[in-house]
Amino acid sequence: MNAVLEVRGVSKSFGGVVAAADLDVTVERGEIVGIIGANGAGKTTLMRAICGLLLAARGRVVLDGRDVTRLPAHRRARLGVGYMPEDRRLVPQLPVRDNILLPLWARGVADAEARLAEVLRFVPDIEPFLARPALRLSGGQQKLVALARALAAGERVLLLDEPFEGVAPALARRLAEILESLGHAGQRTILVSGSDYTHTAGLVDRLYAIERGRVEPAAPTGAG
Amino acid sequence: MRRDPVPAAIALLALLLLAGALVLPDWLRFLLLLAFAKGLAVLGVVTLMRGGLVSFGQGLYFGLGGYAAGMTGHFTGFSDVFGLLLLGIAVSVAVALVLGLVMARYREIFFAMLSLAFSMVFYGVLVRSEVLGSTDGSNLPQPTFLGYAPEAATGRVLLYLLTVLVVAVAAFLVHRWYRSLWGHLAEAARENEVRVEYLGASVFRVHYADYLLAAATAGAGGVLTAVAVGHVDPTLTYWTTSGEFVFVALVGGTGSVFAPFAGAVLLELVRTFAFAWLPYSWQMILGAVMLLVILFLPGGLWSLVAGREART
Repeated sequence: MNAVLEVRGVSKSFGGVVAAADLDVTVERGEIVGIIGANGAGKTTLMRAICGLLLAARGRVVLDGRDVTRLPAHRRARLGVGYMPEDRRLVPQLPVRDNILLPLWARGVADAEARLAEVLRFVPDIEPFLARPALRLSGGQQKLVALARALAAGERVLLLDEPFEGVAPALARRLAEILESLGHAGQRTILVSGSDYTHTAGLVDRLYAIERGRVEPAAPTGAG
Repeated sequence: MRRDPVPAAIALLALLLLAGALVLPDWLRFLLLLAFAKGLAVLGVVTLMRGGLVSFGQGLYFGLGGYAAGMTGHFTGFSDVFGLLLLGIAVSVAVALVLGLVMARYREIFFAMLSLAFSMVFYGVLVRSEVLGSTDGSNLPQPTFLGYAPEAATGRVLLYLLTVLVVAVAAFLVHRWYRSLWGHLAEAARENEVRVEYLGASVFRVHYADYLLAAATAGAGGVLTAVAVGHVDPTLTYWTTSGEFVFVALVGGTGSVFAPFAGAVLLELVRTFAFAWLPYSWQMILGAVMLLVILFLPGGLWSLVAGREART
């Protein structure tokens, strides 16, 4: 066992509605793990609990053996957690290049340019518009930039919240290709969520199914 | 890569304004001095606005700077402008170091009201304190410049030159700040604080740093105003003073470090001429100017320049 990320018994309710009930999720080093569930099943709650964007009522989040449950979001991010939310949330007026470098600058990463070059190796699609402000990109291009930014920041673990949701089929295939190439390189530990098996099942090493805040291991085919 | 034109523009404008000391009439030089000093406080308000915070209490730091200079001059006779400037900034930042720990946790109307409350507490202390001059305030000695004690007329010219230099340095440093990581993070925080957190930066620290910077510039503005006028009184920190800073920030716009000073000069000119022409209803003209700017230039005066830049 070489777990990079361990979620142990995380629970969270919103006004009596259970969003996460005793969740247990483990992601090993170099592994791509999927979380599949319908809208409102608790995928984003799980992602945000791992990031520290919401505080779980119970349970622990352990990163490389360190209990980070009480750390605020920015401190967890500094430990190498890259998060790509479902909505892209780029800084619109900043050029694409600075959007990607921003989390590295914020963390005081010395070799930020080298990290950018490494990211561009996996996401070369965005190279032609590195100098363009993010607000001038199409939705699909912004999605790629958001992935590149999360990739730059998430040297330890990458959390992708529904990256295939609401994107054109061609872009969804391209996103899946990029994640596959990351998996083949074996350098990234990735937790990716989705509402169906279409793009996720062929991509992941292991899969969890989440329903009404409860998670269970599932077969990658979706056959149960 | 396009070169940043702002530092060169600051240097050019500063040179023009310094040279203007030779030709400008005394009244206009004094008006510009007061406008620039006020512009320093507005620069702080704009800095906070870029991060999504509106301060209705920046008069607190304007008053602290002014009173640090005023009370030091009154009680010790110390009159060196450079020393007073450093002291005023230090006092303002020292207070902001403490209050900022609370302020940086609040947003929107809560931040605005709390900033107003702190400034009015200081106003109350000044009004009720006989030692600090109560409502009458107190006078400052004639300013000196590193041991040089000029005549009153020469002193006014020197103070104007010093103010232009302070404004140029402040504008340059704040511009650099806006273009630094902290500046980018502040803008990102204005739009979405959650994003800043998961990028790895503390939103609290971003706002705290902006708060300290705003206190420093307001403190400097307060010292220069106090020395120029030769008098301090509690109106420096009254809510109308703070409101005027916000008014100027809206008139000038938040798009550039030039905007607060352009807005402050416009305000002082409008006020001066409106007062001369309509001594009993000059506020009506000020209000009309504000209305026109909001209606036709919602981005402030600076949007005229920014719009032209975008078209070229």
